[in-house]
Amino acid sequence: MDPTTATPGPAVPAGTTPAAGPPAPAPHRPARRAVLRTAFTTTLVAGTAGALAPVLLKDPGTPDRGARRSQAPERFSETYRGRHIRGTATAVVPAGVHPGAAAASTTTAADVTIDGRPLHVMRRADGSYLSEVNHYESFPTLLETARAAVDELGTARLAPTTPHTI
Amino acid sequence: MYSRKNQSDLTRTEKKRLVDAILQLKRSGRYDEFVSLHRQYYVTDADRRPRAAHMTPSFFPWHRRYLLEFEKALQTVDAGVTVPYWDWTRDNTPAASLWAEDFLGGNGRAGDRQVMTGPFAYARGDWPIRTGITDDRFLRRDLGRPSAPVTLPTKADVDRALSDPVYDTAPWNSVSTTGFRNRIEGWGIRGSRGVANHNRVHRWIGGSMAGAASPDDPVFWLHHAYIDLLWTRWQKAHPRARYLPDRSLAADDPQRGRVFALDDPMPPWDVKPSQLMDHTRLYRYV
Repeated sequence: MDPTTATPGPAVPAGTTPAAGPPAPAPHRPARRAVLRTAFTTTLVAGTAGALAPVLLKDPGTPDRGARRSQAPERFSETYRGRHIRGTATAVVPAGVHPGAAAASTTTAADVTIDGRPLHVMRRADGSYLSEVNHYESFPTLLETARAAVDELGTARLAPTTPHTI
Repeated sequence: MYSRKNQSDLTRTEKKRLVDAILQLKRSGRYDEFVSLHRQYYVTDADRRPRAAHMTPSFFPWHRRYLLEFEKALQTVDAGVTVPYWDWTRDNTPAASLWAEDFLGGNGRAGDRQVMTGPFAYARGDWPIRTGITDDRFLRRDLGRPSAPVTLPTKADVDRALSDPVYDTAPWNSVSTTGFRNRIEGWGIRGSRGVANHNRVHRWIGGSMAGAASPDDPVFWLHHAYIDLLWTRWQKAHPRARYLPDRSLAADDPQRGRVFALDDPMPPWDVKPSQLMDHTRLYRYV
């Protein structure tokens, strides 16, 4: 069959997980989590967001920044443009990993809400965050991610879906 | 063999046939399956899973096949319809005919960003958004994001990407600083460059196109047809260059098992990038 020809019918039902991959098996998340659970771990929780610079609506030509902050766990709760945004990130650093090592060495549990509704957040390899509202740019901190989502939403509200944790 | 045209060259009738075919796919539920598929394959490079579609060398071939699937679906409705491309370096203002009442409709209104004109306006009843990012079921746009202005990429931006002689480079993800693929995909890189080309266009449109369910806005297909055309132009400009990585990565490479080399079959179609290098038997750009 000509591989460039579209196959009839829906390719994959919504909600299933992409299973196929390149030949080498990737490590499975559960295995990784199990390793982290059994290893000695250090949990870091940040204080207030007061130290975070209010960089958000930057010139599109300006490179993303914030390397020094991207690893820092956060906790914030504020009103931004009339919307209540909250966020908590908890970084779990496996023992023996240098704090300056790549973001991939650190797992982060992130919870962000806007007016009480969950904002689905993902991460990039450099440790920055992107949300389901801003999928084509990333931000050094969860606070900036939440503010950017408010800016993009205008007065629209997030859907009341199940909270997501990365 | 068929042609994909510049959207600015479409006749009134061609626009209407395309819009009607899109609306028919929406009514049948197939359109929303395409939206879900794109969302499902949005795997980021911090995630230790295979990623075929974004932040990855197979960004171009994955989306080429995705567009072919969509185009075939359109053609089941109207065999004469193809996906046109939007050259955003030329038709680069909200006044472009792309956004007119008789084609994709205009900008979102202030406040909730709801698109109020054209065939995809919520009030027409033909375009309910079901993907569930927001409470509201209307298409959203915020062209140029006036609250913090974004401009569309220029011809110079595109030419800079086209002049890179290497397809892609390690670490084969969103922080690859050189290589045609990430220069066009356009991830901002700290200390190096800002959001560019493909990503920047999603941002310029804003609203639905900025988010996880970006194909909810039909302009998605016209944008990606132009991205597909740029890949073809790059291949012509660098005839000896190859898709990279051209073989499976070494066992100790952290991206092994996560990115798709030239002959690694990509889900969900089980098609190799090598099988999507040449589209000229199927369609051509005019």
